[in-house]
Amino acid sequence: MATRTFTGNSWLYNLTSKKDLLWLTIWIAGLGVLWIWDALFLNAPAFVRLQTAFLNSLLTGLMVVLFSLTLGWFLGVSLNTLEHSKSKVGFAILSFVTDILRSIPQIIAVLIGYVVLTILLHKGIIRSSFVQMVWIAGTIAIAVFLEVADTIRQRIDYFRTLDFVDAMLCCGIKERRIMNVEILWKNSRSHMLHKLIAIFGISIFLQCSIDFIISVGLSTDVSLINFPMTLGNLLANVDSKQDILALSNLFTEPGYVSVIFTRHLQGLSVAFCIVFSMLCIYMIANGFVRRHKLA
Amino acid sequence: MNERKYHIRIASEGRALVAIDDFRLAKSAITVLLGESGIGKSLISLAIAGLLDPDELDVQIDGKPYAAYLRSQEAIDIRRNGFFVFQEPSSHLNPLLTLRAQLREGSLAAAPDEEFILKKLWQGSVSSGVESILDVYPKPYRPSGGEKQRILATMAFKKMAASAAHAQESLFIFDEPTGNLDNRLRNEFLDLLVENFRNRMTTIVLITHDYSTISRFTNTYPTVSNHILYRELLLEHRKLHLRDFLPGEYISWLEKRNATTRTAQKTETVLRLQPHVKIFGRTLSISRDTEGRNPEPLLIRKGTVTYLKAPSGVGKTTIVKLMMGLIKPETMSMELGSAVYSEKTDRNVWAQHVWGRQMTMVFQHADEALNQNSKVKDVFNGLPIAGPLNEKTIVKSLSELFEEELVRGLLETKVKYLSGGQKQRLNLLRSLILRTDILILDEPLNGLDFASAAKVIAMIEVKLQSGIGVLVISHNEEVFDTLVAAEDIYYLHSSNPNRTLPDTSKR
Repeated sequence: MATRTFTGNSWLYNLTSKKDLLWLTIWIAGLGVLWIWDALFLNAPAFVRLQTAFLNSLLTGLMVVLFSLTLGWFLGVSLNTLEHSKSKVGFAILSFVTDILRSIPQIIAVLIGYVVLTILLHKGIIRSSFVQMVWIAGTIAIAVFLEVADTIRQRIDYFRTLDFVDAMLCCGIKERRIMNVEILWKNSRSHMLHKLIAIFGISIFLQCSIDFIISVGLSTDVSLINFPMTLGNLLANVDSKQDILALSNLFTEPGYVSVIFTRHLQGLSVAFCIVFSMLCIYMIANGFVRRHKLA
Repeated sequence: MNERKYHIRIASEGRALVAIDDFRLAKSAITVLLGESGIGKSLISLAIAGLLDPDELDVQIDGKPYAAYLRSQEAIDIRRNGFFVFQEPSSHLNPLLTLRAQLREGSLAAAPDEEFILKKLWQGSVSSGVESILDVYPKPYRPSGGEKQRILATMAFKKMAASAAHAQESLFIFDEPTGNLDNRLRNEFLDLLVENFRNRMTTIVLITHDYSTISRFTNTYPTVSNHILYRELLLEHRKLHLRDFLPGEYISWLEKRNATTRTAQKTETVLRLQPHVKIFGRTLSISRDTEGRNPEPLLIRKGTVTYLKAPSGVGKTTIVKLMMGLIKPETMSMELGSAVYSEKTDRNVWAQHVWGRQMTMVFQHADEALNQNSKVKDVFNGLPIAGPLNEKTIVKSLSELFEEELVRGLLETKVKYLSGGQKQRLNLLRSLILRTDILILDEPLNGLDFASAAKVIAMIEVKLQSGIGVLVISHNEEVFDTLVAAEDIYYLHSSNPNRTLPDTSKR
């Protein structure tokens, strides 16, 4: 037998050969180090804000994933069923609506959602932070769930090119079961999980982008202060902006580096949190593709 | 007879793929290597031919690393003077060279008999002749699988002639070389094989699932029978070993079956398909005479087997898919029970009344027909079975085609880890467990060993006794002719035999 540097049972071999798990570990470890550093050097109110922002962003991202999966699964399966039904009217209508939605840039769709949220806040219809986060997650999900629907359709279409579907139909297995259980659940979990990791990354990116755009204020009465604290929201905060601008001091005064990681910690921490998380999510998704040979 | 014994171990990422201690190869003889699909016949042969990649697989031959074997004079001679005809011919052919150029490449350039071999292998084919494809650059879909197999066989026979001076050191391996050929072309190939062997006494391995090869060799070439060895690769108690397969085992089984004369029974007709079906711009017609002069409706009757025959590519699989409502024809008329089905029948009607209730079909490629990520026990989930489908029922069903001691262990195994033959057995069982009026079998013996094939035939007979009507498509004419009365054999013809139909088997 050929010899290997690491044996198949070695945890180090497992971790280095599974890049997605490696980057997940790096992400968690990086955030852990940041948390310890901030616990030591960041002032208490800012530390609480940072933790709240991170947890809110994480929660919103997870809700986006959940909503996108539900909507995408439903739309993907519905389009596939309608496409193969006798009447093509339903398929044409649903495809048209889907294409309209697809034509709207994601950032615009989310912005519209925030405008509506502003109106609802104005009128006092929505008050709770959690409901606001659900609204934001729903808005982002509507902008991105088509990607999940596309993956689902691609998977079903692929299996339709094989004898797989026909052979099961001939045995009297219901088409609904073939699509939902045999194709999507048993044969597409890796593909969907990969897409959901990407959706999670997109949702963090969209949250931050929108928070930054609306940091100028959406109306005289509603601004970032009225929205739940998120990473983007915290980054758009004046204190954080000043912390990041302080980096420019390093060009004229390199010795300033000794204090920058203690004195300007809120802005740097939130910026690090966003950039580092985006990088890690990207690497996790790539590693996942390689490990499960999805490309 | 001079034999070389191999100890072979092949593993991938720590998982053993093949382990055999007694793989014997007779020199200057034809070894017909039998055994169910996926058991390791090809892998062992590739290892001996020196064609495995030592970077991808952990291979040991006779306890030594594969690299050492590849450097040995034995392996060098095999590679230099031998030839390997791959089961999947596309993987052998160079897409950047015409077939004619590939037939004359390297040492093949000076080899004689090209025209003779090609002429022999193209006799009676439905394709328009070999000349039309020789200047083609091979693509996955053109030439057809059967044509590619015949081109590769031609190369191998030319190589035999070219390396005649080194016949003792060479090895020619034919891996399922007739898988895409009809019986007539298969026999032409076997004739050429024996003829070349007689002339040069080289070492040949013929890997096949087609047990008809045995009767062909035994009946046609009794004088060389001393030089033809039949060996079966078996997995017993999770251990792979090679056993001598006595041709008499198959031949006496066949003779016993032939002794029972089949006469057409006038039982109730459950399906009647009108003789002309138009699809993909072609008309397919059905008749009971081989020339197709008198088209007649295809009848499936209770308790009988109807056998549909045609050369490869004419559209046998297409027509049964059409009968199952999976493909929409341009024109068709079929009576099933009291209902009439035509090109206008909605797909939902098939779903509600036909699939799994009145008719079911076993597809020829178990790899595609089964969910590879399902556990064996879950393959039966979702079937329209009236009674309870519990573990006991599943075990009982599996026991009909699997060794009883293996069944319990198989339940939790994923389909993708089964051998090709085991998958085919599972594929058959999924349909056989249903209580339909009609069962359509498309190449049901694909990839099965003799023992399993005999069990499947016995199961079909039990089904017939229960009154089910069976329609069979199979290259194993020798076997299925024993199940069918002459009146129940139909021939399929195409209005344009020079144009093959799209591959509706989706492979």
